[in-house]
Amino acid sequence: MSSERLVKKLPNDIGGTGCSTDKVHIFERELYPWEKRCHALLDVLDYHKIINTEEKRRGTENIGSEMASQLSYYEKWIVSASNLLLQKGILTPDAIAVKTKEVAARFNVTL
Amino acid sequence: MNEHHHGHDHTDGHEHDHTPIVNEEKPGYYEILEISIRELLIEKGIIKADEVRKQIEVLDSRSPVLGSKLVVKAWLDPDFRVRLIHNGNAAAEEMGISIYDNTEFTILEDTPEVHHVIVCTLCSCYPRPILGLPPDWYKSKEYRARTVKEPRAVLAEFGTVISDDVQIVVQDSTASQRYMVLPLRPQGTENFTEAELESLVTRDTMIGVTIPRI
Repeated sequence: MSSERLVKKLPNDIGGTGCSTDKVHIFERELYPWEKRCHALLDVLDYHKIINTEEKRRGTENIGSEMASQLSYYEKWIVSASNLLLQKGILTPDAIAVKTKEVAARFNVTL
Repeated sequence: MNEHHHGHDHTDGHEHDHTPIVNEEKPGYYEILEISIRELLIEKGIIKADEVRKQIEVLDSRSPVLGSKLVVKAWLDPDFRVRLIHNGNAAAEEMGISIYDNTEFTILEDTPEVHHVIVCTLCSCYPRPILGLPPDWYKSKEYRARTVKEPRAVLAEFGTVISDDVQIVVQDSTASQRYMVLPLRPQGTENFTEAELESLVTRDTMIGVTIPRI
């Protein structure tokens, strides 16, 4: 692939790139409750003009291609949101570390 | 696709048929991150707990039923059809459906000569206020990448074959522009009630990957 294409197209700009053999995986499922909460949380952050749709989407790419290929849709959203909140100085790494430990302990989970 | 962190904890070995069903699933890493961030933002006073709960209510209140009401109203009321196509936002509001995400809502009117399909090649933009949250396949790499290049092949995977003499127009969505397909009313539905018509207008007919069928 020519490197020019990488310059002209952002990683999410995939329209027209697929092969016919990549069949659409058609299935239905309910969202997990945490996925719906994650969606609602990001909507609320958008209403407050803290993280907008484009920032959130870009944030799902800035996690690197390896992570992007392995995380599910809402897993990427929450990682994107936490990175953006750190970059904006709204949350600190220490606060997130302490809080995740506290939440994990609440559910008797070891991270 | 996403079950690796939702393992069940059945290690206690005390499951009995008569015990009430309880949620034994323990949160995985990303759920813990979601809970943590939400709680931190609430503790800092940046958002209120009630806001997330209210937004979940908004999300839960939206489903393709709303879109099907718009479509059937447009089928039955020519004046409404004109208003809907002229200004989707205003027509939806007229039916009591707020376009809560402040996007521009545009109707793509199918004709005997043209069939429309919507996609978001860049991510997952979707007319959430009138269809609810999108299915996973709409957000998938395959649907996003291929629909603009070979819509007939993609539609065939949904069991939809569009005649070669009908043009297929694929409309790409953006963060501010959202679309809904207004499908053709099937022949033979002249005596159908409103409710019967609405049952034909499924989510996928308003995305354009299928067409209403009797």
